[in-house]
Amino acid sequence: MKIAGSGLKKIAGLAGPFVGLILVITIFSLMPEVSDRFLNLANIKSVATQSVIVALCALGMTLIIVSGGIDLSAASNLALSCVLVAYAINLGVPPLLAALVGVAAGGTIGFLNGFLITRLRLVPFIVTLGMMGIARGLAKWVARNQKIDAPLSWLNELMVRTPKPSWLLVSPGIWLMVLFSLVMAVLLRKTVFGRHAFAVGSNELTARLCGVRTDRVKVSVYTISGLLCGLAGVMEFSRLTVGDPTVAMGLELDIIAAVVIGGGSLSGGEGSILGTLVGVFIMAFLRNGCTMMGWPNYFQEIIIGAIIIAAVTLDRLRHRQE
Amino acid sequence: MKPRIKFFSAIIFLLIIVLIWTAAACRRGDKQSTGSGTRTYKVAVIPKGTTHEFWKAVHAGAVKAGQELGVEIFWKGPQKEDDRAQQITVVEDFISRRVDGIVLAPLDDRALMRPVDEAMREGIPVVIMDSNLQGDNYISFVATDNYQGGVLAARRLAEVLGGKGKIFLIRYLEGSASTTFREQGFLETITREYPGIELLVKDQFAGTTTESAYQLTENLLSRYPQVEGIFAPNESSTFGALRALQHFGLAGKVKLVGFDSSVKLIQALENNEIQGLALQDPMKMGYLAVKVLLDHIQGRPVEKRIDTGVTMATPENMNRPEIRSLLEPDFARYVR
Repeated sequence: MKIAGSGLKKIAGLAGPFVGLILVITIFSLMPEVSDRFLNLANIKSVATQSVIVALCALGMTLIIVSGGIDLSAASNLALSCVLVAYAINLGVPPLLAALVGVAAGGTIGFLNGFLITRLRLVPFIVTLGMMGIARGLAKWVARNQKIDAPLSWLNELMVRTPKPSWLLVSPGIWLMVLFSLVMAVLLRKTVFGRHAFAVGSNELTARLCGVRTDRVKVSVYTISGLLCGLAGVMEFSRLTVGDPTVAMGLELDIIAAVVIGGGSLSGGEGSILGTLVGVFIMAFLRNGCTMMGWPNYFQEIIIGAIIIAAVTLDRLRHRQE
Repeated sequence: MKPRIKFFSAIIFLLIIVLIWTAAACRRGDKQSTGSGTRTYKVAVIPKGTTHEFWKAVHAGAVKAGQELGVEIFWKGPQKEDDRAQQITVVEDFISRRVDGIVLAPLDDRALMRPVDEAMREGIPVVIMDSNLQGDNYISFVATDNYQGGVLAARRLAEVLGGKGKIFLIRYLEGSASTTFREQGFLETITREYPGIELLVKDQFAGTTTESAYQLTENLLSRYPQVEGIFAPNESSTFGALRALQHFGLAGKVKLVGFDSSVKLIQALENNEIQGLALQDPMKMGYLAVKVLLDHIQGRPVEKRIDTGVTMATPENMNRPEIRSLLEPDFARYVR
C-alpha cells in the first residue's frame, strides 16, 4: 500500500493527463476554422453534457479498477437501465419511480457481478464478460428487440443544453456528475472503505491477512459501480427520449480508457477520480473538436488510440523510476 | 517530474500536434481548390452510418452538389453505425460549430427531434433525408417515395406474369417504415388493378438477414409449389428469395421482382433470374438535400416534401446508361 505521503507523487501522476487535456483544448482553440467556437461557453456546456454518461460510469469503474477488478458489463448495464426506465414510464409509473427502477436495476447487475466474482472465485474479466451479454440480452428482451417510445416527462429535461429554470446554469445532469464525483472522491480517499478498496487492489492476500474483509469490499465496489451505471442509464434515457437496447454498444471500452488515461492501473491499487474525469474530458473534447473540424471518424479513433498508449507509457515510465 | 518523463511526454504530444496540424493543412488545401470567390456556405451532412454503399452514394451526391454550388460539405456520421446517442452528439457539435445548415438522415424518428428543434431554434436550418422525423420542425424532407416503389414493383410483376398468376408478397420486418410503405404500395396496386393475380402469401416476414429470408422462401416454396411470382421489399430479402429459387432450380421460372441493388442482384438480373429491381437514387438524395438547403438559406421557397424517385431496372433496360448509373452509382468520382 502506498497511500501515506503520496501527495506529491499524486500531483506528479495527475500532471500527465492534465497536460494532455490542456494540449487538446489548446490545439483546437488555435485552429483558425473553429477558434471562436470551440472555447465558446455554449460549446463547453455541450461537451460537459455529452460527458455526463461516460463520466458517471467511469466514476464507478475507477473504484473497480482501484480494487483490482474490471467491469466489461458497464455499458450493457446502462442500456438495460435505459430500457427499463422507458418500459416503466409506459406502464404508467411516475418518472421519479421509473428512474429509481433504472438505478436499482443497475445496482442489481453490479451486485450480481460482485457476488459471482467472490462466490465462484472467478476472475472479474470472465464474470463481467458474461454479464455484458446477459444484461444486453435482457435489455433487448424487455424492449422486444426494438426501441421503446415513452411519453416526454421532466426526466427528459435532465440532459438539455439549456436547463429550464435558468438559474441552474447547466443541465441537472452536469450537477449530478459534479455531485457524484465529489462523493466518490471522498469515498475513495477519506473513508475506511476507500482505503480497503486500495488495499484489495494493491495486494489482496496481504489485505486479507490484515483483517480486511475482501469479499465484502468487492461486492460493495461492484454494487456501487452498478448503481452509477444505472444512473447513467437514466441519463441516457433522458437524452434519447426513447429506451434503446442497442445504445452504448462498446462504450465500456471508452469508460475503461478514461480511467486508464487518468492514471488508473489495470493491475489495481491506483487511480483517482480527478484523473478519470480528466480522461473523460480529453476524449469528449477530442470528439467534439474533430466533429467541429469535420474530420472523419477514423481520424479521431486513431488519435484516441494513440493517447491511450501514450498515457499508459508515461505511467509505466513513472513507475520504473520510483 | 523527472527529466526523462518530461522528455518523453514532450515527444509524444509533439507527435500528436504535428499529426493534427498536418491533417488540418491537408483539409485547408482541399478547401482552397473548391472554394469560389464569394462566401462559401458550410453545410453538415449527417448520415445514419458511413460504411454502407448506400451512404457512400449519398455522400457522393452531397459532394457533387457542394462542388457545383460552392458549398463546403462536412460529412460526419455517428462513430458507430446505427448509434442514436452518437448521432445526437454529432448534431449538437455542429450546432456549436454554427454551420450554415444541417442535412440529417435521422436514425430515430423520435430521439433526433430535440437536437433538430434546438438547431432550428438557433437559426440553423435542417433538411431531413431518407427517413422521416416526427413533427414538422424542419425545412424539407427529401426521400424516396417508397409507396410508389411498391406500385412500380406490382406493375412490373403483373407485366411479366401477363396479368394473372399466383404470387408471394414477402415482407421485411415489423415496424420498418420504409419497407412497410413498399409492401403497402405493392399490395394495394395488385388488389386494385390486377384481379387475375392471387396472393398466396402476404403476411410473412423475412427478417433482417439474407439467411432468414432464404429459409422463409424455402419453406414457402415447399408449401406452395404452384407459385409463379415473388416480390421482396429490400436487398436482403430479395437476395434470400433469389438464393431459395436457385436452390430449388426455379430461378428464372418463378418471376422475382425485388428492391435495391448489389453485385449479386445485378448478376441475377443479367441472367434473367430476376425480372425487375426497383431502384432508389441515393446520389440524387444527397444532391437534392444539399441543394434544397442552400435554396432555403438563400431565401428561395422550397417544398416540404421532395421525392427523389424510384426506377424499375429490368433485364431489357439494365444496360442503358441512366439505369446503369443507378445500379452501380459512380461515386468514385466524388468520394474515395
